[in-house]
Amino acid sequence: MVRKSKGRQKVEMVKMANDSNLQVTFSKRRSGLFKKASELCTLCGAEIAIIVFSPGRKVFSFGHPCVETVVDRFLTRNPPLHHQNSGTMQLIEAHRNANVRELNAELTQVSNELEAERKRGEELNRVQRASQGNCWWESPIEKMEMSHCEQLGGSLEELKKAVAKQVDRLLIQTTTNPNSYFAAGSSGHPTLIPNGGFNGVPVMPTHPHPHAWNPGYGRFF
Amino acid sequence: MARRKQRMACITNNSARKTTFKKRKNNMMKKLRELSTLCGIEACAIIYSPFDFEPEVWPSSYAIENALKKLKDMPAIEKSRKMLSQESYLKGMISKAYAKLKRVRRENHEKELKAVMFQSLTKGIPQFQNLNLMDMDDLGRLIIQKLNEIDNKKKSLREEVTESQNQTIQLTPIVNMVNPNPHQI
Repeated sequence: MVRKSKGRQKVEMVKMANDSNLQVTFSKRRSGLFKKASELCTLCGAEIAIIVFSPGRKVFSFGHPCVETVVDRFLTRNPPLHHQNSGTMQLIEAHRNANVRELNAELTQVSNELEAERKRGEELNRVQRASQGNCWWESPIEKMEMSHCEQLGGSLEELKKAVAKQVDRLLIQTTTNPNSYFAAGSSGHPTLIPNGGFNGVPVMPTHPHPHAWNPGYGRFF
Repeated sequence: MARRKQRMACITNNSARKTTFKKRKNNMMKKLRELSTLCGIEACAIIYSPFDFEPEVWPSSYAIENALKKLKDMPAIEKSRKMLSQESYLKGMISKAYAKLKRVRRENHEKELKAVMFQSLTKGIPQFQNLNLMDMDDLGRLIIQKLNEIDNKKKSLREEVTESQNQTIQLTPIVNMVNPNPHQI
């Protein structure tokens, strides 16, 4: 497997020589830093402010509850407002904390869904790679010879016609029952029939037989 | 690296919270120092722990005040654009995650349709009983795309053949020159 990048490498703690590497490093590390800061605040209830000047002389800052309040607290050496006996401040504080709790929960949830979807993608890749070994018609067209091109082209034309037929059938069904537009399983999740390994050449009937249609045909009518 | 994934909520156990704070704060400060060194940039941090009254500051009070002065001199738009609070930061992360999720879902959908296409070919029977109209539409598009690729490949293969034929023809004049009157005995 060809590696796209060199992977983790130990880096010397001096200013980076290559300017574009420096920019990339800044971007990535700043992002990681803010993530750590956010987690520190969430997990431990710390209040912090971080200010970072980029190589391009832009400024990035992160603060909890916000940069300004932390900076003010630092400059004026005053105890935080919510520690003072102000009902309003405490209310604002409570509201903000509730918000942050919800946001963290949402972020966790979306991240989990993303992770699950990525795993699904990898599984799909694995299955595809496995069957690619058995079936010449699944390998890249770039490397195909003429006879295979012709054969595959023919089969695909037949399949295209089958698709068109099915679309017509579904359209009729839709006009008679408008609610069924999104029926027949959820979009994007057709049943994956694991490939048990096939030898030989794909056979597409030159005249599509009615018998070639799955009994599902009967389901609609 | 860590022992397990931590739930992103305030740690209720006091001593656990204190230990975590110390560890994470130290690691974060290390990251901050590294960022500053590696990229040669100015950075500072003010940290108020829930256990102390006094803040921890880096690199120094003086440096922070300088940085703040610089910050103040910047036009309001500049600094507020990248100024994040916990809330705005999290909102940003959430929308990025949703965007990625959408993209990965779309990619997976394509992969599944591709699998349907190949399985239909392999089995000789269409495998799209569970697909709805939208999926069928996408599948049709995928098939047409493949057909186009095949056409292009056939075209380039034919061009290769013509190329090599042309090269063979070019050899003939040289042969004729060797024997200018091939028909003469």
